[in-house]
Amino acid sequence: MHLIQPHLHSRRAFLKRSGQLAMTGVGLPLALNLAAMGEAAAFDATDYKALVCVFLFGGNDYANTVVTYDDPSYNLYNTIRGGGAGQTAGGIALAKSALAATRLNPATAPVDVLGQARQYALHPSMTGLAGLFNAGNAAVQLNVGPLVVPMTRTQYNSSNRTLNPLPPQLFSHNDQQSIWQSSSPEGSTVGWGGNIGDLALSSNTNSLFTCMSVSGNAVFLSGDTALQYQVSTSGAIKITPATASTVYGSSAVKAAIASLIQQTRTQKLENEYNKVTQRAIGAESSITAALALPQPATAFATDSLSQQLKMVARLIKGQSVLGAKRQVFFVSLGGFDLHDNLIAQQPTLMDRVSLAMTAFYNATVEMGVASKVTAFTASDFGRTLASNGDGSDHGWGSHHLMVGGAVRGKAFYGTPPPVSVGSTAAAADQWHVGQGRLLPSTSVDQYAATLATWFGVAPGELSGILPNIGHFGGAGYPVNLGFMA
Amino acid sequence: MTQELLGAPDVAGRAEPVVQPKANPIVSPTESTAPLNSAALITEATLAAAALAACGGGGGGGSTSGGTTGGTGTGSGTSGGTGIKLSTVGYNFLTPVTDDDAARFLLQAQFSASDADIAAVRSSGFAPWLEAQLARPNGPTGWDWLEAQGYGDVLNTNNYYDNSYPADYMVWNQLMTSPDALRKRVTLALSEYFVVSLTGLDFAWRSHAMAAYWDTLAANAFGNYRDLLEAVTLNVAMGYYLNTKGNKKEDSSGRQPDENYSREVMQLFTIGLVQLNLDGTAKLDAAGKKIDSYTASDVSNLARVFTGFDVDQSQNVTTVIPQTGGGTRTVGNTAFARLRMVQTAANHSNLAATFLGTTVAANTAGAAALKTALDTLFNHPNAAPFFCKQMIQRLVTSNPSPAYVQRVATVFSNNGAGLRGDLARVFAAILQDDEARGPTGLTAPEFGKLREPILRFVQWGRSFGVASGSGAWKIGDLSNAGTQLGQSPLRSPSVFNFFRPGYVPPSTALSAGAVAPEFQLVTESSVGGYLNYMMGVISNGLNSNDISAAYTGELAVVDDPVALVRRVSLMLCAGQLSAANQTLIATALAATRVDTGGSANGNLTLRKNRVYAAVLMVMASAEYLIQK
Repeated sequence: MHLIQPHLHSRRAFLKRSGQLAMTGVGLPLALNLAAMGEAAAFDATDYKALVCVFLFGGNDYANTVVTYDDPSYNLYNTIRGGGAGQTAGGIALAKSALAATRLNPATAPVDVLGQARQYALHPSMTGLAGLFNAGNAAVQLNVGPLVVPMTRTQYNSSNRTLNPLPPQLFSHNDQQSIWQSSSPEGSTVGWGGNIGDLALSSNTNSLFTCMSVSGNAVFLSGDTALQYQVSTSGAIKITPATASTVYGSSAVKAAIASLIQQTRTQKLENEYNKVTQRAIGAESSITAALALPQPATAFATDSLSQQLKMVARLIKGQSVLGAKRQVFFVSLGGFDLHDNLIAQQPTLMDRVSLAMTAFYNATVEMGVASKVTAFTASDFGRTLASNGDGSDHGWGSHHLMVGGAVRGKAFYGTPPPVSVGSTAAAADQWHVGQGRLLPSTSVDQYAATLATWFGVAPGELSGILPNIGHFGGAGYPVNLGFMA
Repeated sequence: MTQELLGAPDVAGRAEPVVQPKANPIVSPTESTAPLNSAALITEATLAAAALAACGGGGGGGSTSGGTTGGTGTGSGTSGGTGIKLSTVGYNFLTPVTDDDAARFLLQAQFSASDADIAAVRSSGFAPWLEAQLARPNGPTGWDWLEAQGYGDVLNTNNYYDNSYPADYMVWNQLMTSPDALRKRVTLALSEYFVVSLTGLDFAWRSHAMAAYWDTLAANAFGNYRDLLEAVTLNVAMGYYLNTKGNKKEDSSGRQPDENYSREVMQLFTIGLVQLNLDGTAKLDAAGKKIDSYTASDVSNLARVFTGFDVDQSQNVTTVIPQTGGGTRTVGNTAFARLRMVQTAANHSNLAATFLGTTVAANTAGAAALKTALDTLFNHPNAAPFFCKQMIQRLVTSNPSPAYVQRVATVFSNNGAGLRGDLARVFAAILQDDEARGPTGLTAPEFGKLREPILRFVQWGRSFGVASGSGAWKIGDLSNAGTQLGQSPLRSPSVFNFFRPGYVPPSTALSAGAVAPEFQLVTESSVGGYLNYMMGVISNGLNSNDISAAYTGELAVVDDPVALVRRVSLMLCAGQLSAANQTLIATALAATRVDTGGSANGNLTLRKNRVYAAVLMVMASAEYLIQK
């Protein structure tokens, strides 16, 4: 029997343990000292580590991202996706010949449940990441997605949801985004990145810079005590009417505005707003000082994702100014919900992901922190393997990439799913839940636990961050997937 | 499935009043658990008018949205609202007792509160004011504005058909100037529920298609939800955005129908993810868990209904345009962009489709299948609370009480004349409700909502007499959060709107279960981006001062700082600035000079600066930002 009580899971137990701190209010993160409670003992704060979540909003099409390459598998893929004769492009299938340059060459080929040794290539536009993989600085996690418990297709089809619980609201964008980030659907306020940050707060002089988003608000970065701090791709926004010497020629007006926008209010919504403004004003000068350091020389592209990762690189470079030893970052790119125009639009997206993550890795090498920084991808869900004509529909499991000097690269982790859209009792059909929507063979909790463990979270603390991790650890579902050195 | 429906849709697919209600007033099946909404019961004398308005003809009231007819489906030209008589039975606050009270109502019902508006509401009371506004015809359409501005000229070398900025200008012009402000306020709310985003459109004449979409929402804003749902479903912009356009049936190669519209029409436009009570709370099963509204199978089956549609090219005329780099390009005309999508039988799935307990039989024609599907969604028990709660959130408060939701949803279910989906009465019920009108919310610690940035900006424009000297209204995409508003109309990042109805701010001090949707836009960057942007706009206007505010009424009282702050507070936040902050602002204003002893021009500059300062200080205040 599996106990699923999201509101009671051990994250709350953690909150309870730190209750005397949590109750002091969320506006006082600087007062925290979790080390005194022994919660953060596993963190050795003498060095630096950062995790960077690269979120692909909309649900990335796994089948054309990490593309099956060996002939038997490719031929199945080509047929299912409407490809042309002789392994050529067609429908939403990529031509095999287009994949040669981004072929992945692992030290050991992954073998699927049918005994087929599998080969893969990245999308043809992902030459940078293919290079990092083959050089040993990137790896692929196969078929990972939200799970409450290990699950077979038979169990998925079972009506007994007590024995075979499903993650809530599968296939729904907003909810699966939230579940990837926080284990709970929309409305969740605490994510695993933030919970990791909770444990790292004491390592940082200024805890406000523990969890930073260069995208918008992301529940991933909100802890029980750690706050998400958001920064733009051009740095912190200085509030002119509160900081200029005069406003419309008046210093009195400037002073009044500075007072009005930082007042403590008894009306709670008013106070929520002013709290953010207080944080923005309080942090702006520190961020600006950190960003005043010389920028990494590594060139970044001009699109949003590259600029977000460039800002992360600059903030990492400024970590001594920010007083941050442990940081969790969030960046994102949208547009992956390609129900239509998959073949036309995915190349640009994949190119951006590859260019941005490659440049970011190169910048960490330049700064001498490549082995201290790990970037990983996440997305709402994978998509169908079946075609709807010129795109694919919402799915579940997907393949993801981990990049960094500490990643045990040039390798695949997890189990390759057979290429199938069938719904028979055959072994090949047990790895999806219809139309090739992958049934994850690795849970997000395992993926997160592996990253968190590298970051310094102790085994005993994992259940406080990942509510379902206790359901994993058996055969085929290791708590630590092994992709981090 | 459970039928909450009372007024069954007729064969034309339009919800019509049932015959019985005149003799035998309809009661809601939930009445046993719900207080009877007596406010929704109207006198028999008004039933005929209500029925007429709901028939889709728009009575005598309607512009027809530039002719958005054609194709399948029912009257898209409805203007609704004509001749409605609203009851006030059951409401305790019928007339504003102060200017503040009137302004509070106006700022929920439209974008701004002018002196004349305040006087009108104080004179007539809430319901008669609403009746007058509901009876107003749809104002000038966005489509006609684009045409008048020349954006439909296929030969113009700016290639307007390839650009989305004309639609930005169009919608800002609508928001800033359209005389039917209640309708346009509601249209904005609808555009954040039935979301199509310019950011996701990439086809020739996208701006015209977006204007046609906006006009469709406006035309149906006071009509019937069932008509609106159909008009939205068959709209070209929506067709492109959620892939109904060109959606084809399954085939032997394994191709499947596109599920995008099928999923989102359920999740976002009609019923939502979990089964709801009439008061908007989730139904729970025996184990205390929420119950899913639909399954993956429902999505895949419903997707078959939305196959076979494509744009209507029957009025297309092409133009061959020489290209600068050599060669030619053939561009069609704008006609398709406001015609409903049409059905091609050969592309429509012939499989049976079973969803939500309803089955469309195999080989059902596309139009009939669509009618069954939309009727099923419209009549689903979730439709009323799901829609009504979100409209309350958009107009009044983020956390309406279940009783408030139920009162409004009851009107949706039955407008008192047996008609389901009467949007004019739904919006009136939202605005007349004691929870919106009574004083409790003014002091409750969590009542109200964050004014979204679009509303602040439009309110600034309408309150202070903004005009475009050239008439071009070139206000573009203001989505940049670091340097602009961080929000621009019809430019949601996805179909999930700028913010989710269930969004809870991180690290929040709000009560458990409380939500604050608009806070999804609030970050350490956007708080400053907004203030910096408004600081410039308030004094300099936009587009090299082509668009600027007059501040006539404010300059008239500029010599009296207390009167000035009082006036700005009334217009911007219904006088909800505390005495302490009025004093703080007035003191700062008093420290600014308005007389140099020099030239009149010099003095005018100083006087304007004082007005700018008053406006910016109020618009920076949390008491303004949270609309209560």
